[in-house]
Parts: sequence; structure tokens; C-alpha cells
Amino acid sequence: MIQLQGITKQYTKDSFGLQEVDLFIEAGEFVSVVGQSGTGKTTLIKLLIAEEKPTRGDIHIGGWDVTKIKDRDIPLFRRQIGVIFQDFKLLSKKTVRENVAFALQVAGEPYKRIRDIVPKVLDIVGLGHKMDRYPHQLSGGEQQRVVIARSLVHRPKIIVADEPTGNLDSINTQEIMEILKKINAFGTTIVLVTHNRDVVNQLRKRVVVLQEGKIISDEKHGKYHLSAT
Amino acid sequence: MYSFFRIISFAFQDMVRNIGLSCMTVFILILMLLSMNTLLFIRLVTTEATATVRDQIDVTVFLSDEATGDEVDEVYTYISSLPEVTQAVFKSSDEVLADFRELYKQNADILSSLDELNENPLGATIIIKTTSPADYATIIEQLSVPEYDTIVESKTFTDAQGAIEKIDAITTSIEKFSVALTAFFGIIAFLIIFNTVRVAIYTQRVEISIKKLVGATNWFVRGPYICESLFFSILSTFIAVVIVYFTIGLLDPYIGVVLGNNTFLTNYYISHILSLAGVQFGIVFFLTLVSSMLAMRRYLRV
Repeated sequence: MIQLQGITKQYTKDSFGLQEVDLFIEAGEFVSVVGQSGTGKTTLIKLLIAEEKPTRGDIHIGGWDVTKIKDRDIPLFRRQIGVIFQDFKLLSKKTVRENVAFALQVAGEPYKRIRDIVPKVLDIVGLGHKMDRYPHQLSGGEQQRVVIARSLVHRPKIIVADEPTGNLDSINTQEIMEILKKINAFGTTIVLVTHNRDVVNQLRKRVVVLQEGKIISDEKHGKYHLSAT
Repeated sequence: MYSFFRIISFAFQDMVRNIGLSCMTVFILILMLLSMNTLLFIRLVTTEATATVRDQIDVTVFLSDEATGDEVDEVYTYISSLPEVTQAVFKSSDEVLADFRELYKQNADILSSLDELNENPLGATIIIKTTSPADYATIIEQLSVPEYDTIVESKTFTDAQGAIEKIDAITTSIEKFSVALTAFFGIIAFLIIFNTVRVAIYTQRVEISIKKLVGATNWFVRGPYICESLFFSILSTFIAVVIVYFTIGLLDPYIGVVLGNNTFLTNYYISHILSLAGVQFGIVFFLTLVSSMLAMRRYLRV
């Protein structure tokens, strides 16, 4: 469950990332957040992963009061959310296996469990045969699948995906979306921030439209549009 | 416990996978340590050289050949009891004559002139060394009393006074210069290390933020860098110690000409190896640690 109440993020006197945003996402939902550049989508992601704190309002995510979260608790909180970035954010000096394992290592998981889980998760995203390659030896689509594997490996209840198909061609985009749908089918909540009209329209899931930092539309089975309906 | 071993393992993995950067960091640290050692040995050699010259200066009191044994004993006891005196060596007139003959054994004219005389023309002497060259004047003053006029024939301090003053002036200048040079090297070393580590951290800033985003704690991110600092410090100190050891072995014969000891630097280095290596390791580790903590701080705010 994700709950944002009266969220405002103000950067300077006249610059707002978000203004008075109220949003409730139930467990297991697949929500697409759309909007033009500069409408607050990235700000929303940063608030959801506690990279930034709101100026006003409350954020509750899976039992965490993210607004009041202490710095020392942020790593623990982040281990319970899977995050997928447009620019992948893979550790370039680590292999595919090591990148995925890292998410478990930071949580202090035992060696045996890591050895067992990582190949299984990489098999799920179809990269079981490329575990010992480095990120630069993979295509964009493969790198994004590694990121998905990394975000999945600690079985998060929520996955936040920031333009996960932004750097991919249509075939890879389709593959990534299929994986995300499968993950959602197993009960994981997915918040997808995207510009991709086709992706949103094919999903036929909930669509939230942001404009100038405010929610102007929230439809249960929506389509991609950038103005209020 | 898992995290501890993982941090060490990540540190070695990072070092190997960033081998170029690791080598450059160690190279810079070695250069800094060699600079520190150069400074140390310049100071050591100058201090030893001035001490050697000081050691060669003393006050020689020539006693009258008419002085009785009791009078000689009284003067010797009095000199030995003075708090400034560290050593007073009495030489009888026979010993003085023997030394004189030894000194001029190549000069037949002087020796034959001496043989012409049927008796020993040289009186007994007392050679005095004090804690500080400044004390020589006090000793002379205390011997210049009427009771000793007939016993003490002459004192040779006046000739050495100029040399002592010069040595004092040179030593003071060298010490001031050394302090300034040490401060200068210290600042340069800090800047070099700080910037080397900062560049190393800067190249890994993206990795640091990614680690934070997947849930690593600050200490889990910092840990490998602390281990790397420790390893770089140990490695650079070890290499610097080896280089310095072989270098001073080459320099010792040349320095021995001045100091009269062909193994002066090597002996000093071996006898102080643990403290020297320990201090150098401590300085390098402290600098690398502080630099990496400062450089990393901004990238950890994710």
C-alpha cells in the first residue's frame, strides 16, 4: 500500500516539483504515472524511494512513514522496494551475477542463499546464461533485465519503475513490459513512470496523469493522455 | 559478520578491477613517503655532522710541570665535580709525551729535537668535555682563580670558541629550515593525497550512489574504501621502506667520509625501523582515510 497525502515538494520560492498531491495505491495494483517533462514524475519517484523528502504532507509505504524516516533507516526501507531506472544504474565493475547478488549482500543475506537465489532470478528474466558478463557486454534490453532481476531478488512488495523502456527499442520494450506484468500477476505492486503511449495503452491498467506538479486525472482502466478528461 | 568479510572482499575486488587507479594511488603515496624520508635523513645527517664537530671541540687544561701530585689531584677532582662537566680525562706528562711522539712520528726533525732534550718538556693535561659548548666559558672562568695560577699553565678554549659559535649558528639555521621544509612537505603531501583519493572517489561516484539506491548503508559503502586505504598504506609503506633501505646503503659510504662511520644511516634505520615504518604508515593511513571520508561524503547523500 502506498499513500500520499497533501504532498508538496517545493525547490525554490516559485518552483514546485509536486503540489498538494493525494494518491492512494493499493497492494497489487499496476499504476502508470504519465505526464510531460517537468510535471513532477521524477520528483514523485525520488519521494517514493526516500531520495528526497517532501516540503509538506505525509507518505506511507508498506508500514513506513517515509516523511519521518531517519537517515539510518533509509537503507532498510530501500531493501523492501525494487527500483528500476531508465539508465539502468548497474555497477559497471561487477558482473551480472554480482550486480544482482549485491542487493542481497547489502542486506546481509547468507552466502548460500545468495548462491541459490541469484541464478534462479536471472533465469526468470532470461539471463541465466550470461551471469558472468559485465554490463557493457550486454544490450540495453539485457541490462534492463538485469536491473529487474536485481529489483526482484529480495522479493519486494513494491516495484518503482522510472522510464524502464526509455532507452529500449520496441521489441525489448515489449519484453520488459511482459516481465513487469508477470511480476504484477504474482501480487507485487508496480508504479510505472513512462512517456511511452503504446506501453500505457496496451496495459489497460490504472493511469495517473500529472501536470505542473498536480494530479489532473486518475483512471482505473485509463489510456495515455496528457490533459484532464 | 557476513558484511565484514564482504567489505574486505569488495575492497580487493575493487583494487584489482581498478588496477590502474590503485597503482597510481600507491605510486603517489610512495613518492610522498620518499620525500618524508629524504627530509628525515637530511636532518639526521646534519644533526650528526654538527654533533661530530662539537664532539671534537674540548677544553684542554695544561698543567704546570712543577705542580705536585696533590695539586694535580685537587684540580682534577674540582673539575670532575663541576655539574657542567660530562668527561674529564687526565693525562700524565708521560702519556702526553707518548701522544706527541705518535702524532709526529712522521716528522723526524721534531722527534730528534725532542730527543736532544734529556727530560720531558711537556706537563700533564686534563681534557674536559661539557654538556653544551656554552659551558666551556664557565669552566674557564672557574679555573681562572688565583689558587690555580701556579698549577694551570694554559687553557685552549679561546681557539675553539669561534668554531662553537659558528656551529651553533649553523645548527639553529638548519633546524629552522628543517621545520619550514617539514611544514611545506606536509602541506604538499596532504594536498597530493587528498586530490589523488578525491579523483579515485570521483571516478566511482556513480557506483557509490547506485550502492546507496539498492539499500547499502553508508558504512557498507565506506567499508571497502577504508580497507583500500589500509591496504594502500601498508603496501606503500613497505615499498618505501625497502627503497629507502637500499638507497641509504648506497649513500652510507659517501656520508661515512664526513661522519667517520660507514654504516651510520643503515644502523640508524635498522635500529628505528619499527617506529619509522609505524609513523609513516600512521600518517599515510590517516591522510588517505580522512581524504576518502571527505571526498565521499557528498556522494553518500543519496
